[in-house]
Amino acid sequence: MKRIAVAVACMLAWSCGGGGKKQFFVAFSQANNAEPYRAAQNALMTKLWAEHPDVRLVISDAQQDNSKQIAQVETFIRQKPDLLIVAPNERAALTAVMGQAMEAKIPVICLERDILQPNYTSYVHSDNVAIGRKAGQFIADYLAKKNGTPKGNVVAMRGLLGVEGEMNRDRGAKEVFDRYPGIKIVADPVADWIQAKAKDRMTEVLRAQPHIDVVYGHNDPMAVGAYLAAKELGREKEMIFVGVDGLGGEAGGIKKVMDGVLAATFVYPLCVEKAVEIGDRILRDPAFHPEKDYVIESTMVTPENAAAVYAK
Amino acid sequence: MKNARRFLPESLLALFGIVILAIVISPIASDGSRIFLQAGNLTDILRQISLIGIISLAMTFVILTAGIDLSVGSILALSTTLVAMALARQGHGIPASILIAVAASAAVGAVNGLVIATLRMQPFVVTLATMIGVRGLAKWLSNNENIDIGFGHDVAAQFAAAFRQKGVVIGSYVATAAAFWVLLTRTVFGRHVRAVGDNEKAAEYAGLPIRATKVWVYGLSGLLSGFAGVLYAAENHQGNPNAGVAYELDAIAAVVIGGTRLSGGKGSISGTIIGTLFMGILTNMLRLNNVDSNVEMMIKAVIIVLAVAAQRERKSR
Repeated sequence: MKRIAVAVACMLAWSCGGGGKKQFFVAFSQANNAEPYRAAQNALMTKLWAEHPDVRLVISDAQQDNSKQIAQVETFIRQKPDLLIVAPNERAALTAVMGQAMEAKIPVICLERDILQPNYTSYVHSDNVAIGRKAGQFIADYLAKKNGTPKGNVVAMRGLLGVEGEMNRDRGAKEVFDRYPGIKIVADPVADWIQAKAKDRMTEVLRAQPHIDVVYGHNDPMAVGAYLAAKELGREKEMIFVGVDGLGGEAGGIKKVMDGVLAATFVYPLCVEKAVEIGDRILRDPAFHPEKDYVIESTMVTPENAAAVYAK
Repeated sequence: MKNARRFLPESLLALFGIVILAIVISPIASDGSRIFLQAGNLTDILRQISLIGIISLAMTFVILTAGIDLSVGSILALSTTLVAMALARQGHGIPASILIAVAASAAVGAVNGLVIATLRMQPFVVTLATMIGVRGLAKWLSNNENIDIGFGHDVAAQFAAAFRQKGVVIGSYVATAAAFWVLLTRTVFGRHVRAVGDNEKAAEYAGLPIRATKVWVYGLSGLLSGFAGVLYAAENHQGNPNAGVAYELDAIAAVVIGGTRLSGGKGSISGTIIGTLFMGILTNMLRLNNVDSNVEMMIKAVIIVLAVAAQRERKSR
């Protein structure tokens, strides 16, 4: 047992480190580090808080498990952070525990996904319906230019069913398509957000559909997966590929637009900049009363502006 | 029981060690108290381990028969889905809804046992198939959607409000643990469970009801997974067909740390409770000290191996 204790103590000493003078403690409960979008949130969060040397940021990873995230938020509440930021894994599950944090007088910022009751100081988020509409309009405009009138065959590559992002990105685009009877959704396979699955599903669609104008992926990896399937069958020039998310970096969607794989992507904002901005004011200015609700606009990325957005 | 007594002090020692370490390195609250020792934190730990704790009780029985049950996480998901559907969509009362979910879960477990016992298939393979199939069933039933229980004043919300309370969750674990301890140590059934795992051939020659014992053991595993699913649904205010992924591994880890041998026959409920507490306290300790979650996984891996190795070392001497 002694050996175990020593080993643990060593590892702890190594992993905690630091300490010293009085700091602000900011706790961030992340739903799942494994998703690229959330990894990008973590990276930006770390970078922005690092600009404030008196702030100590701790990020916990719930690994897409509701119970785990509830437990992690509970533990944060015991530690009484000066600010708690929560990116909820699922809305119903996190509602009550975020209420407990509010009761403990901890300022809470709810990031990106909402919860069932307003158990937060501020909610910073984007609007997936608006993004779906933007994507739908881009596709309709493209078809109008290509075929004279807005008509053509669209494949919708769907994310995990029942998830808010999937439902609303689908709904927003369909609102636009419904105005143009010439636009037909010829297939809408489900690929659970995953590139490899999208490639398989798209291969099946390509076998069945002789003519496709546009693939609308509810995220970039699925649009890229569809592109890879079309390329394998030599049909990638026949259609364009549109995605959503627009993450930066080598593997992100913006780079894919620069590379000519995607015709466009619609940035799903990380919401982190705003969260850090108001979070920092909450820490330092007791008189500051933040809004309950902040909506972050999406940017459309096409080959014209891709390089500029990528550089940011 | 002799074997159980011999390794118990080892795992108890490990538990004391981790408690002392957690106290020593606990961060200090602004009022000067150690956060780890705050009543709120200690009860947090108990509540957080309760679901895995409940599942691992029946898992102990399964492993004692030299079996394994990989389907517990999927059965939990099925149960959360069924109880939420019964409450929120079909308007059943609370007792009926719980009964539906738990009975269906127990039935799935019993089918596991039946297939394992009558077709003489390996438990790993059978429960692996169940893990896949039942996950599919839960997703199919719910149409891939979470079933919201909500925060209103209807029966579903009343259910969640009642069964998510710390006292109810912890009480459920304590009561189930007591029942399973009695079942294993004080009943004929408990002796059969051990005998089947210790030496199945000998048990067969002795005329013990091997088939029935296995059906019961896997049935109980399904039942407790279903019960944990009911608590999960209340805690999370939803039925969730994606819940409980990898819970089987957490449950198996708790059983193994508690000194129960995967080869069957040897082990105890008290050991499993200690193993569950050990993992819960370890997790809490690492989180209170804000250890990076990736490092947390690495530390846990090392400690699982050390904890089991420490027990084997002493026994082989």
